[in-house]
Amino acid sequence: MSTMPSALTSQDPKYLTNNAIRRKRLSSWFYGLCVAIAFVSVLILVVLLAAIWAQGQSRLTVDLLTRAHSELEIERSGMWPSIIGSLIVCFVCAMAALPLGIATAVFLEEFKPTSKPLRLIHGFIQLNIANLAGVPSIVYGLLGLTVFVYMFNVFGQIKVNESPGLEIMGADHYYQVMTLQPGHVVFVPQEDASVREIEITEPIEAVDNSGNRFELAVWKPGTPRPKDEATKRQTIEEGAIGGTITRRSWYYFRLPLDKSFLSGGFTLALVILPIIIIASQESLRAVSPSLREASMGIGATTWQTVRHVCLPAAIPGIMTGSILAMGRAIGEAAPILVVLGATVMKGGGPEHLMDNAITMPVLIFNWAGRQQNEFQELAAAAIIVLLVVLLILNSTAIIIRQKVQKAHN
Amino acid sequence: MSLPKALQSKEFRSTRIGVLSERLIVFSLATCATITVLITIGIIYMLVSQSAGFFASDAVSFSGFLTDTEWTALQSKDLEKAKFGILPLLSGTLRVTAIAMLIALPLGLVTAIYLSEFASRRIRSWLKPTLEVIAGIPTVVLGYFAILVISPSLQFFTDGFTTFNATSAGIAVGILCLPMVCSLSEDAMRAVPRSLREGAYGLGCTPFETSIKVVVPAALSGIVSAFLLAFSRAIGETMVVALAAGTLPTFTFDPSQQAQTMTGFIVEMIKSESEYGTVQYFSLYGVAMTLFVITFGMTLIGQIIRRRFQESYQ
Amino acid sequence: MSTAQTANTTDAQTDPPADQTLLRIKNFCSWYGDYQALHDLTLDIPRRQVTAFIGPSGCGKSTLLKWINRMNDIVPGARAKGHLSLISDSDNASKKELDILDQSVDVVALRRQIGIVFQKPNPFPKSIYDNVAFGPRLHMRTTKAELDELVEWSLQKAAVWDEVKDRLHGPALGLSGGQQQRLCIARAIAVGPEVLLMDEPCSALDPASTLAIEDLIFELRSQYTIVIVTHNMQQASRCSDRTAFFFEGRLVEAGDTTQVFTKPEKKQTDDYVRGKFG
Repeated sequence: MSTMPSALTSQDPKYLTNNAIRRKRLSSWFYGLCVAIAFVSVLILVVLLAAIWAQGQSRLTVDLLTRAHSELEIERSGMWPSIIGSLIVCFVCAMAALPLGIATAVFLEEFKPTSKPLRLIHGFIQLNIANLAGVPSIVYGLLGLTVFVYMFNVFGQIKVNESPGLEIMGADHYYQVMTLQPGHVVFVPQEDASVREIEITEPIEAVDNSGNRFELAVWKPGTPRPKDEATKRQTIEEGAIGGTITRRSWYYFRLPLDKSFLSGGFTLALVILPIIIIASQESLRAVSPSLREASMGIGATTWQTVRHVCLPAAIPGIMTGSILAMGRAIGEAAPILVVLGATVMKGGGPEHLMDNAITMPVLIFNWAGRQQNEFQELAAAAIIVLLVVLLILNSTAIIIRQKVQKAHN
Repeated sequence: MSLPKALQSKEFRSTRIGVLSERLIVFSLATCATITVLITIGIIYMLVSQSAGFFASDAVSFSGFLTDTEWTALQSKDLEKAKFGILPLLSGTLRVTAIAMLIALPLGLVTAIYLSEFASRRIRSWLKPTLEVIAGIPTVVLGYFAILVISPSLQFFTDGFTTFNATSAGIAVGILCLPMVCSLSEDAMRAVPRSLREGAYGLGCTPFETSIKVVVPAALSGIVSAFLLAFSRAIGETMVVALAAGTLPTFTFDPSQQAQTMTGFIVEMIKSESEYGTVQYFSLYGVAMTLFVITFGMTLIGQIIRRRFQESYQ
Repeated sequence: MSTAQTANTTDAQTDPPADQTLLRIKNFCSWYGDYQALHDLTLDIPRRQVTAFIGPSGCGKSTLLKWINRMNDIVPGARAKGHLSLISDSDNASKKELDILDQSVDVVALRRQIGIVFQKPNPFPKSIYDNVAFGPRLHMRTTKAELDELVEWSLQKAAVWDEVKDRLHGPALGLSGGQQQRLCIARAIAVGPEVLLMDEPCSALDPASTLAIEDLIFELRSQYTIVIVTHNMQQASRCSDRTAFFFEGRLVEAGDTTQVFTKPEKKQTDDYVRGKFG
């Protein structure tokens, strides 16, 4: 037996007690600091909500929900087109991102390769997705601008009244011609899209506003001019010039996509894709491996196992993650701003597939950046509407999560 | 008991079709996974090919881009007079980011320590949702909050702040990053095995000493990666700075002045609807490339650190 | 313990008659990455008998079991060398030998022939009926009536029918551990396998449930070839016909259960069955 080291025997008891007291005091101070700082976040949230409510509550009117932005009648400006626009853009985004994201997650999580080179590729894809999640959303905006809006200019640049890009369906081109009846126009179907104007000298087939086909008569100056209105409506003066006009059906589609809500939705899909993949992977990982073994042990293939065992077990988690990602998409302004532009002049929702759309965050950005007090208040009111939409989404996610947790216990 | 009919007949489904359709499904799933790689390639290709149009111009030199202290792509329509030096935009970004980190890192870390080490179940059950709600607030809302509340308060308490300034934008970005720092750090700390804490308490450590001297060092790599990810998030943040940081590129370290950031410039350029094809327009991609390289590098390092750390506890 | 003692393994066993052999294992080696889990095993598993694999933890018995129906395919880095074949008598006339390790083997069909029951009961979070019907729905075309009959038959075979017949459409997770394990056995036999692999099927169960499963194994022996991995000496001696003792990745001894437990040829086996180590 050796003797005790002096450090253990010759300690001043007074020092030990004081030291212990000091350390305990430090610890309780630290605890107090923790509590105080943790409450800072609560305070921030309360101040934020209160300030926005105070600023915007007076503008929460029916007009706000039903009317469009107006420069002339600022008082009665509203956000109806942006609500519709946000919903449609997010719908496109969900349709693109969910299948792609969940499929990728299933592939990465359930079809893990066993050979070494494939494992390296697998790890690389995994790292790549984590990195994509960190790419600023505005860079995705630029990607969307290049890939969806301009498509690297492969199909030519779209210019108003000059080049429509590569039209695939839903577009009917006409020449618009004035008839003898003042204020009445008829449309002559276009045959060669590159001819921007025609001069009509002979009777030609035409359609009127309601779509009836008829033979367009030509009146030569010097001959008697038709008198009754019905004939006048179907007659033009010789040499009348017709300019192009395009009628677009709702399924009008062309490449590149230009500044359409489809471009916006796809771009948002790029932004939330990594989020959906990561959330889906986490829910799939949470499925007990023993269930997988059981299914494989009966002789199910990997896909059958995924389809009948893993996905049903993981779907609540995937849905929660996806809803949260959709919340992110609805609130995302930067990529939409880049892709669809900052304009907010639009009366309603999109009319055809290639139509522009405005979204709530872009409208808020536009209003918040203006000097007029009315717009400042309108911005706050629009924020309240946006937050309510997000609240509804997120509480759906939380309810799903809690239901699942209950079912598990 | 006799064998049921289904087993007597021994007619099992041919597995050949099953194997074939399995292959088809695996192939299509793999295609989806490949798309994620294509996105990265697409981003890089776009940035390189488009910014080539910028760097190839006579008015721009690469060294000038990195060292010039003036950026007037938006102000001067005349290409001869335009100056393309990234430093003012970079300094704007750094000012905003530094302020944001000053707010988000300490607050986020301490909140994470509180949540993981001290908070009772009841407090957790509403503090965590609060943080999640903050994390879910759209950034454009925080930008509005910055010009509505933060900026006027700064002007009220001190002199010298302009309406649009780096500080108020920085504070708002900090609020934005706080939940992220907090939840990632908390995850890291929760992954520290219980036995380490028990060991520390067993030696007579106070709760403070246990969390600062044992738990935080053990979770350090996770915390560092949380910091890096938050940092790259702050650098890439757009809407807050577009609303609150002002539109003037200034090469200074004064946080009370306007500070156009890289992302802020991109938004202004898009808003100005400059004509496609001009050097000024392509400068957009030069800026975006700088932004991408910085954030991608940050995220990459953060991910690598995080992976190392995860493996060490498995 | 020196490995020299265990080096010469092949002569340790008494082979059953050749035509009775269902699974033939010869010079079988297996690795996980660089770690060799099994060394040069040679063993025949006879038809319609219960063969028990015993040995201390990590001796490789579960590894071998999981190779038999290729469950190791999903383990990264697992590979095997040697001969492992299934001698099937599906049409009774000609015996066919199927090389299990062959890459071209249809793993799905193989696993249908060789079912597996795991250590922990792992019913799917579905109804009892759906659990049993899961396999048949994948593999067979059946009418509703045939499926009902099959489910009832399987559950009766697994001696759990009387306990669950009133709640067939209730959740399987609501059953007790022992019932869940018998449900898993029913699920495994519902696709008509020839072989049932059981990986420590009772280690997560209480003594009463263990007894019920052991009785069940004894019953099933008349129709299935059963290979059971167990830690429990009494269990091996109670319900198996033949016993193989593994140690450190090698087969030490294999033979009739009574012989292995009463007059083992190797001292190591003797020490183990007497509980001196492991």
